Amino acid sequence: MKLQEYQAKSILREAGIPLPTSALATNAVQVKRVAAEIGYPVVLKAQTLEPGRGRAGGVRIVQNEDEIENVSNKIFKLVLNQRPVHSILVEKAFTFSKEYYLAITSDLDAGTPVLQLSEVGGATYLEPESFKGAVVVERHIDINYGLKDYQIRELMANLRINPTLWKQFQQIAKKMYAVYRQFDATLVEINSLVESTQDQLFALDAKINIDNQSLFRQGSFCESFESSNFSWEERQALKFDVDYQNFPGDIGCMVNGMGLAYLTLDQLLSLSALPSAMIDIHGGATSTSISSALEMLLVSPRTKIVIINIYGGMTRCDEVAEGILQALEGNFPKKPIFIRLEGTNGDSVLESLFSNENLTFFSTTEALANAAVAWQRGDEQ
Amino acid sequence: MSILINADSRIMVQGISGRRGRFHSLQMLKTGSQIVGGTSPGRGGEWCFEGRLPIFDTVRECVEATNADVSVIFVPPHSTADAILESIDNGIKTIISITGSIPLQDMMIVKSALKNSDSILVGPNSPGVLVPGIANAGIFPSHIARQGSIGVISRSGTLCYEVLDTLKQADIGVSTAVGIGDDPITGIDFLSCLELFDFDPHTDKIVIIGGPGGDNELKAASYISEHVTKPVIAYIVGERLAASLLRPFFSKSGTRSLDSLGKKTSSLAEAGVLMATELAEIPSLLHR
Repeated sequence: MKLQEYQAKSILREAGIPLPTSALATNAVQVKRVAAEIGYPVVLKAQTLEPGRGRAGGVRIVQNEDEIENVSNKIFKLVLNQRPVHSILVEKAFTFSKEYYLAITSDLDAGTPVLQLSEVGGATYLEPESFKGAVVVERHIDINYGLKDYQIRELMANLRINPTLWKQFQQIAKKMYAVYRQFDATLVEINSLVESTQDQLFALDAKINIDNQSLFRQGSFCESFESSNFSWEERQALKFDVDYQNFPGDIGCMVNGMGLAYLTLDQLLSLSALPSAMIDIHGGATSTSISSALEMLLVSPRTKIVIINIYGGMTRCDEVAEGILQALEGNFPKKPIFIRLEGTNGDSVLESLFSNENLTFFSTTEALANAAVAWQRGDEQ
Repeated sequence: MSILINADSRIMVQGISGRRGRFHSLQMLKTGSQIVGGTSPGRGGEWCFEGRLPIFDTVRECVEATNADVSVIFVPPHSTADAILESIDNGIKTIISITGSIPLQDMMIVKSALKNSDSILVGPNSPGVLVPGIANAGIFPSHIARQGSIGVISRSGTLCYEVLDTLKQADIGVSTAVGIGDDPITGIDFLSCLELFDFDPHTDKIVIIGGPGGDNELKAASYISEHVTKPVIAYIVGERLAASLLRPFFSKSGTRSLDSLGKKTSSLAEAGVLMATELAEIPSLLHR
């Protein structure tokens, strides 16, 4: 789960990382009041999870009260990737001399946290792409020992960062690492970390991503973010432990395992067709999660036909059958369901499904995809 | 004869009395695998499957009583890292985690512990290791492959079943099938499995099944070109996809690089690997 900037900043502030004064506002009147309290100049920053905020005009510096309503109204009218902007972070603007990129990221191939540091050219409040091409130095961290001062020093010495700043860097990096561990983050990023004219470091922008597989143990604090940061489908998927991904087509897909998801996608793409959604129910799904996944496809307005492609190892076909029948008993829109079911307990259950008129059976992924695309094209004509 | 497990392997199951653990332990027993017992904390002293298998509270007790050297893990995701560490600590040689979706930082702790041990971790999110007709440590459907001389390594469990099925239809037998798992962070990789298969006298050719994300296939490609003496056939799923379509699939689990998309097929081909463009092509490439 990605956190919005104001959510990430509240966590970093709590952890003791220096940030400019800021407050959240949800309408133009609030923005004006908050800006007056903070004192001009201020930066208005659209709160969104979508990329491209800076280029779309979602980050603006406002010098005085005369412009503030006009600018905040414009930001509130922004729609990024079909998601409207509901709130603005109003932040004290100040001048700075240098910008840095500091992050704790995750290297999944090595299976370790990574500390990354870079000196960013061209101080700007806009989209932080200016650091592309900059030298990023990094250090893998053994999670069983934690982040050590010397590891941070190695990177700072490498980039020849002024030693008068080292202590501040070390404190900030270690606090970021503590946040990474405490919140089961996959990413804690400050982009950029700026050096004020008084030689003080401040975090201007912050990103935190939290590992979805750890949300169960993050408690109510993170739960409070889920309603604002996840769509209905994403919340359902989390609740029933499935992966849900939107695509721009109209064939709803339910599969078990990422490999089968790709195989099905490859097959559809080779026929120039696209799914409306791909749901991976994982190994060992229960009938309840299968039924809920199918429900998501049946109620999705864009989905015209559903294909189910299951090869059961951990997933037992009898559970799949039970889940499908459960969903079909519900009062959902009727759609054709093309299905292929192989593997553990496969033979015993097909009979319970064969008699259902909504279901058509296939024996291979290829046949399944071909038939679904043929049906979909026939439907369009 | 095989890699990672063999006819003498003494297999235990962590989480033997859970819904999945119980079901698949029975399947493994039915296929004739040498299952020696299992753990279920708090139920030590009981027996399962009508007295056929003893249950212990801890891996330590199970190892002391049964000399288990392979453990198959079915415990829920939140306690899987603990189960893996327990197996490492008690000298289990091959640890197979069927459970997937493990919290990322739990797996980072496990990876660090593995470095300082002799244990090998297969998975998480693995279908297990199958030596047809000899041993099934995991959840492979029992009828899926027959004995032979092809080594199979796959990231995806379900794709592995597809490939085994395809080989069986073509009457091609398998020495060992290994599902290395499709979680964001996993234990054994293609490279280590290739090394094991290359030294296994009963394996003649190797099939690897990969997919998008990570650098596992690229590392395999450079290892193959320098070290592997046996013919390798590869099938990489998802290379038709545009990176923009795929990205969200990976965003859930961190920052796995997609830079390699499209490069895997070409690097493997350059390393001399025969590339299958679809599953059905694999048998004919093996006959070459």
